[in-house]
Amino acid sequence: MSALEAADPLNFSQSRPLTLGVELELQLFNTRDCDLTPAASDLIDLIERQPHAGDVKPEITQSMLEISTGIHDRHDALLAELRSVRNTVVAAADRLNVLVSGGGAHPFQHWSERRIFDKPRFHHVSALYGYLAKQFTVFGQHIHVGCPNGDDALYLLHAMSRYVPHFIALAASSPYLQGVDTAFDSSRYNAILAFPLSGRAPFVLRWDEFRGYFERLRGLGVVESIKDLYWDIRPKPEFGTIEVRVCDTPLTVETAAALAIYAQALARRILAERPALSEDIYLPYGYNRFHACRFGLDGELIDPMTRTRRPIAEDIAATLDALGADPSAPESEPAFAVLRRMVGGIGNDAYWMRSTYHVGRSLPDLVFRQAERWRGHG
Amino acid sequence: MAALVLLAALVAGEIFQRVLKLPRLIGWVVAGAIYGPSATGLLDAQALQDLKFIMHVAAGLVLFEFGQRIDLGWLRRNPWLAGTSVLEAMLAFAAVFAILMLLRVSPPVAAFAAAIAMATSPATVMTLARDLRASGQVTQRVELLTALDCAYAFITIGVLLAWFHAEYHGDWVVMAAHPMYLIFGSSVLALILATVARPLLMRLDAYGDVQRVCAFALVLIAVALGEWLNLSSALVLLGFGASLRAIDDRRRFVSLDFGPLGQIFLVLLFALSAAALDLSIAVAGAITGIALVAARYVGKYIGVLVTSRVSGLSTRKGSLVALGLMPMSAVALVFVHETVTVFPELARDLLSVLVPALVVLEMAGPLLARFAFIRAGESTALA
Repeated sequence: MSALEAADPLNFSQSRPLTLGVELELQLFNTRDCDLTPAASDLIDLIERQPHAGDVKPEITQSMLEISTGIHDRHDALLAELRSVRNTVVAAADRLNVLVSGGGAHPFQHWSERRIFDKPRFHHVSALYGYLAKQFTVFGQHIHVGCPNGDDALYLLHAMSRYVPHFIALAASSPYLQGVDTAFDSSRYNAILAFPLSGRAPFVLRWDEFRGYFERLRGLGVVESIKDLYWDIRPKPEFGTIEVRVCDTPLTVETAAALAIYAQALARRILAERPALSEDIYLPYGYNRFHACRFGLDGELIDPMTRTRRPIAEDIAATLDALGADPSAPESEPAFAVLRRMVGGIGNDAYWMRSTYHVGRSLPDLVFRQAERWRGHG
Repeated sequence: MAALVLLAALVAGEIFQRVLKLPRLIGWVVAGAIYGPSATGLLDAQALQDLKFIMHVAAGLVLFEFGQRIDLGWLRRNPWLAGTSVLEAMLAFAAVFAILMLLRVSPPVAAFAAAIAMATSPATVMTLARDLRASGQVTQRVELLTALDCAYAFITIGVLLAWFHAEYHGDWVVMAAHPMYLIFGSSVLALILATVARPLLMRLDAYGDVQRVCAFALVLIAVALGEWLNLSSALVLLGFGASLRAIDDRRRFVSLDFGPLGQIFLVLLFALSAAALDLSIAVAGAITGIALVAARYVGKYIGVLVTSRVSGLSTRKGSLVALGLMPMSAVALVFVHETVTVFPELARDLLSVLVPALVVLEMAGPLLARFAFIRAGESTALA
């Protein structure tokens, strides 16, 4: 490979198949009224004074912090790193009197007050999208899964789309927005759908073809880089991964790690079994996605291949049983157990948030308790 | 008369805010000063005396609300902040005391002036933070330090008064016991008030206005009790607000404020206390005033800066915190004046030292603090 080719951002870098990386966007708020507070740069300054696990970066607004892990194969190592970087962030935040939590959206923040982080790309995004950029103060988990090559990445991307509702429903943690119960389990997702380049990837299975598609979009001036595509699952050629982007940031690192392992296990099975794909898998896609956002685990899922419909929780339970039979499963069993408990009765984080709100009847109190939960108490 | 002052102050505030692009509260102060005895004299000394009651209530409301903004748990999570607070207050005291001694001010007067100079004006800081919708490290630290500075100032003044009494009457037991009485008495009263207020305010949760009026009445009671028990009303009210917040484990009162009612008292507080300033003294003592302001700034700046990195803040933001601590308001004077009037000579000398500094800081303080909040990127007010 020549130096020129290596520098081409559309060349799909090779990565070890089924390796994982996790990014989590976190909310920062003050202890006084629990509203979002612009603390990202102060927090990063403080954290970067000492070596620490993981990576901590600014995001589009000053009240958002992104943490990410290195590359992992195993659940225990992934969870250990997530816990370590969480503890680093929480310790620094304590010194600055800032609270940190997961959750897909802040329950009562007002978008007009969010400051855009001082970095040229963010100012560009802000100028382009206007109020959408501020409404985009939503917080997601991104899961990277390593792929051996571009063709496999695209195959995996489309085959995984069948499970997108699982991820939405399991991670849903944004029932409240702008001070009201939205009736959705994940209201964050609706904010993302407003962007012109959101939704699903086109049904293209060969990397050359995808490249051509992207070049044509770029030729029309629609996009500049892969970063401009806000798809539910998108390829990340630079890392050699596909990136699942539909999850709200869960309220605990344990759930975040479990979701990543679930993605890995699904990818492992898909790449081993290679089910045939046709564009028909996308026929019920919008319907399923809406159900997952609106009703969470109680939503309905239509399987485009078997043409059956059943509750999402039931579909997840069945999938977990099938995955559990995998010989490599024992190591991932603790992660599956977390998800089984959720579908088996304790529900997702949106359910926890609604029950917690109904005890205290105060959204600031709910936010405070989210921070306690993120810390690993409560 | 109070209504006319209120009207003038409100109009001036809006002119300052919209036309001159300066903080509203400077408009309130200017309007008050114009009404005062040393300008047009529309408000004479007697009228001001009659309106004292309003100022006490207004100051009580401000201190209660300010106390509610303070999270004392932060000191536990970041003990270096306690260090910052003690150091900047002590250095400000020392610097002001030293410069006044150099200017041949008598030691007791220098000590009283230095004690008052330790304090930052809670009313100014809170009004600015609210108007700018400021939130972030600089704002939060300025608020915390302001509350602590006020407590230190009132305690020090208590100690100095006791010491003064002892000088005159030779009662050293009073001197030792008085500050303890102030600190513990005020804290205990504050805790009792908060414990009584919590269930009451909780019941009224669903009725915003009724809850507000109830809180208003509780503040009046707290002011009256503080005075009746000869405690420091300021400490009682600050403590009441902070305790109510500390025991509000379900965060039911985070948005408890006094609405338009609070706004009326706030405007009057700034206007009336400015009216009471004798501007002729200010001109005569301009040099002393400027020296005091400079010494106070140097003390606070060094104190904050030395501890800024260890307390987790960049030096740049540390220097903004020091600017945010500059506001000093004539409100402090009103309270001190009353306690010090027992010694008329002391009171006169103290005014001649403090009034010039206050005139400078009533104008410059809000501008510097506003600069600090905006420069730190913490203002969210829509331009």
